Amino acid sequence: MKEISELNLPEELKYSKDHEWSKVEGDIVTVGIDDYAQDQLGEVVFVEVPEVGDTFSKGDEFGTVESVKAVSEIYIPVSGEIVEVNGNLEDAPELVNNSPYEEGWIIKVKADDLSELDNLMDKAAYLEMLKG
Amino acid sequence: METKTLKTTPLNSWHRNNGANMADFGGFDMPLWYESGVKNEHIGVIESAGIFDTSHMACVMVAGKDALSLLQLCHTRDLANLKDGRCVYGVILNEKGHVIDDAIVYRFTSRHYMVCVNAGMGKDVALHLHANKKTLDATVDDLSEKLAKMDIQGKNSAKILSLIIENPDSVFEKMPYFSFKGFFNNKPPFSSDDTSYSSVVNLKNGTPVLLSRSGYTGEFGFELFVEPDKIVDLWETILKAGAKYNLIPCGLGARDSLRAGAVLPLSHQDVGSWKFINNPWMFALPLKPDNPVGENCTVVKEKATLVQENFTKDFIGRDALLSKEDLTFTLPFAGETLRKVSAGKDTRVIDANGNDIGHVLTCATDMAIGWHNDKIYSIASSDKPEGFKAKGISCGFIMVDRKIEAGEKVTLQEKKRKIMVTVMSDIRPDRTARNKISTFLP
Repeated sequence: MKEISELNLPEELKYSKDHEWSKVEGDIVTVGIDDYAQDQLGEVVFVEVPEVGDTFSKGDEFGTVESVKAVSEIYIPVSGEIVEVNGNLEDAPELVNNSPYEEGWIIKVKADDLSELDNLMDKAAYLEMLKG
Repeated sequence: METKTLKTTPLNSWHRNNGANMADFGGFDMPLWYESGVKNEHIGVIESAGIFDTSHMACVMVAGKDALSLLQLCHTRDLANLKDGRCVYGVILNEKGHVIDDAIVYRFTSRHYMVCVNAGMGKDVALHLHANKKTLDATVDDLSEKLAKMDIQGKNSAKILSLIIENPDSVFEKMPYFSFKGFFNNKPPFSSDDTSYSSVVNLKNGTPVLLSRSGYTGEFGFELFVEPDKIVDLWETILKAGAKYNLIPCGLGARDSLRAGAVLPLSHQDVGSWKFINNPWMFALPLKPDNPVGENCTVVKEKATLVQENFTKDFIGRDALLSKEDLTFTLPFAGETLRKVSAGKDTRVIDANGNDIGHVLTCATDMAIGWHNDKIYSIASSDKPEGFKAKGISCGFIMVDRKIEAGEKVTLQEKKRKIMVTVMSDIRPDRTARNKISTFLP
């Protein structure tokens, strides 16, 4: 496992306690799992994604990430409608490991209320949580 | 607050310095996988070879005039006809017929045996043997601190070992599956005059080694036992010699997926504190050839009952296995894709009628296999269809309350997630463990 100091956690992203990251562009929120989560899970072999048009409430499970080691649920950080899913993950789930913040993004959500993201953590707060 | 200190093997620093992802396994800090990842490690063993640190496992030496009698009582295999230099897999049961641990028994001479068990179990097994020794003339020594072990598994294992051991031609001559040669130090407790056993195998640098043609992946390979201060050098020497065969270190992740595909149980997970019966490992019981066990040797036939006379010997746990109380059925399964569920009592087995019939003991993904027209092929299958690509199949074991025939489909349900699986009699085809050693040598 990586040491906490070795984790790649971009400053511009927000992090959840369940190790998802969120990036806001207008009212569209892109969501994936962060470097800590992918490192803990090990090689991702399958990502179950929702359908475009599905709607979720903040905190709902919207998919699963399966690695060689475990099956892990992923939770949506904001209520809204799925507007895009990363179709490349079907043939290349390892993108979640190799590029968790770029090519390995999982969903894009049209958010109902961006203020729901306010209680997510910035990098510093997230690191504090990981250090326990 | 209690702090748990993990035990380490002599290779711990090597693992940590070489990018291993480490975790607690049986109280030991062990590698789960290295930088190349579980999938590459799993496939590497099928296509060439991989090495595993198995020094967390424990061994117990049992010696003396009555060593055989003690082991006949405490181990499920009938050891009466076991030859010098041969070993067998079986289990150690308590009076309830529950598994204390699974164990390979090695016979050096009629008075000298070694019992190889799981991580942290050396002391428990030694205590169990002591407790049942009573008036028997036998000594029981826990060797845990006196030896270290590594496995090399995969079709190129013998070619790689032939680069680092002395006289490989004679060592590999007459070395069938589950036979062994050599000893792990220069002081075997028996004289070579007392045994037909080939008691000397040395590495080219002179290190004595016990070389056993066994392992836990279902693939051709060896287990190597040496003194603890020799294992790091052996590990590095093998890796260097094996570089031209793309030999890689493998962690417990690949070991788990390889053994699951090979229908081998993980002790304390697939066999444990329940009766050792109606499972894929009934060959580990001392059954006479004409017994009421089903054709694929996994489940006692309906209406048939095992009786004392079906066994070739008495052993601890036998009477409990004869009773019809608390019977469970353990069966292998394969999923439709690589998608899996978590193992454990919370993941339920649901039959076609919607009945909850049990739970999942193991669920791993064998990345070297795939379905094609209702048949599983391996990347190693010579008859695989043209253009076959192994997409991986989840597999493992379920424990249920009724008999299920191979071919029946059941659903594994973990909270909201469900996967459909098929009960199997075997999983990964074309495994190499039992093939003749000559087919693996130049």
